[in-house]
Amino acid sequence: MLPDAVGAVSARAAAKLDETAVIQAVQRGDPDAFERLVRAYDQSVLRLAMNLLRSPEDARDVYQEAFLRVYRNIHTFRFDCSFHTWLYRIVTNICLDHLRKRKVRREEAAIVDTADGPVDRMDTFEQEGAHADPERRLWNSQLSSRIRAALGDLTPRERMVFELRHYQGLRLRAIGDMLGTSEEAAKNCLFRATQKMRAVLGDLI
Amino acid sequence: MNCDAVTKALPLYYYGELAAEVEEGVEDHLQSCAPCQAEMERQRALARALDSHVIAPDSALLAECRHDLARAIYREEAPAVRHRASDPWGLFREAFRSLWHPGIRFVQPAGALAMLALGFFAARVVPAFRLNGEPISEGSIVSSIRSVQPDNTGRVQISLDETRRRVVSGRLDDQNIRRLLLAAAREQDNPGVRVESVGLLKDQATSAETRGVLLEAVLHDPNPGVRLKALEGLKSFSADAEVRRTLAQVLLKDQNAGVRIQVIDLLIARQDPDTIGVLQTLIGKEDNGYVRMRCQNALRAMNATVGTF
Repeated sequence: MLPDAVGAVSARAAAKLDETAVIQAVQRGDPDAFERLVRAYDQSVLRLAMNLLRSPEDARDVYQEAFLRVYRNIHTFRFDCSFHTWLYRIVTNICLDHLRKRKVRREEAAIVDTADGPVDRMDTFEQEGAHADPERRLWNSQLSSRIRAALGDLTPRERMVFELRHYQGLRLRAIGDMLGTSEEAAKNCLFRATQKMRAVLGDLI
Repeated sequence: MNCDAVTKALPLYYYGELAAEVEEGVEDHLQSCAPCQAEMERQRALARALDSHVIAPDSALLAECRHDLARAIYREEAPAVRHRASDPWGLFREAFRSLWHPGIRFVQPAGALAMLALGFFAARVVPAFRLNGEPISEGSIVSSIRSVQPDNTGRVQISLDETRRRVVSGRLDDQNIRRLLLAAAREQDNPGVRVESVGLLKDQATSAETRGVLLEAVLHDPNPGVRLKALEGLKSFSADAEVRRTLAQVLLKDQNAGVRIQVIDLLIARQDPDTIGVLQTLIGKEDNGYVRMRCQNALRAMNATVGTF
């Protein structure tokens, strides 16, 4: 093994040990440790919720509900899986509930009608999408709208698998663990999601 | 592998999720098949398009979430936890209450009952007194030494300001409790105390004195959580001329988009020419797309010119 690789493995092992110690400290009732644990994961939890639900209000609800469940149940965590997997099981369950309710309500939480056409108020959060050139902005806006439609066509589970694989970079095996399904089923979800999106976005890409 | 099998495998190939032998088969095929290479390029283009529209939550939203979480945990627990000090989880929750807002010194109000421990703002309401040789009382805090005067018997006389921590409790309609809450709402060093106090006072805004404190908080408090709480208290008074003047100032100067959105909602509850002017001025300088859009919608609803200035 190369020295860099050995260093990386050691760093991962040290981080894992440190996290185990932090969780054990939380279980003993150490409030500083709980804060460290929340701060270590809360940005990625919020990002996941925002991208899945495309509503800051819903993302806030998910954030709060998820960490409250962690707070109430951390004493039941037995290190059978990584804390990340355990936390994401909680977060994905809450997000799936939101997505399913939204499907029932047919809600378009992020879209508002304006004189310039429908505007996604989440655009104000999109860093990379912002552009000063009007033509570029228009194109971006059309692409945003089509991406929204494409994501809207996915089932909640396809949406979740795609989000976790594409945006969060998780392996399908881990995603299967989180969602209580097999790696093969997660693969099928990812495949269907990609096909559906290519069908909707085909002429723009 | 033939083209059909490779095309179907491309999404999983792109994400590196194929078994090693299948992956090798796809790579071999791609080297010699132009249509499948083009298909692979479309897969990459799809990924790039999706990457360019990822949403990154801003730090203000994250801060609000952390604040809400701390408050939710704080609210969840009953004050009875204090009496279960032997329970480690009770200790943990007790400690966690002050984790995000160090210095919070009061117990969660249950219903209309507020319990306050005088701490940081005690100096404002408890007069200083001179120590006359007595030992300093247990639980007291010496906030400053006024003078040190030795005498020729080997003793020294020290004059000091002493504050003493006390817990008082009472209903929100109690004059003394309200007086303390008004003082707490101006507590400079502790935003947690200000958020809770303003949150309790917001339901008492019928009193001119309370309304004055809420207006002061909306206009000058450095913490957006406090300003939002104060705005909630002013909702029922959005027709009041003084309230509207203050809200107009806030709308044009507040750095927090959430506060500006709330102010717009309050101002447009009543249509008047001043509001139109303020909204038009705001559009000319507003950076936040959502706030700008809310302004435009409000102006259209009032049949006023939107325009760009």
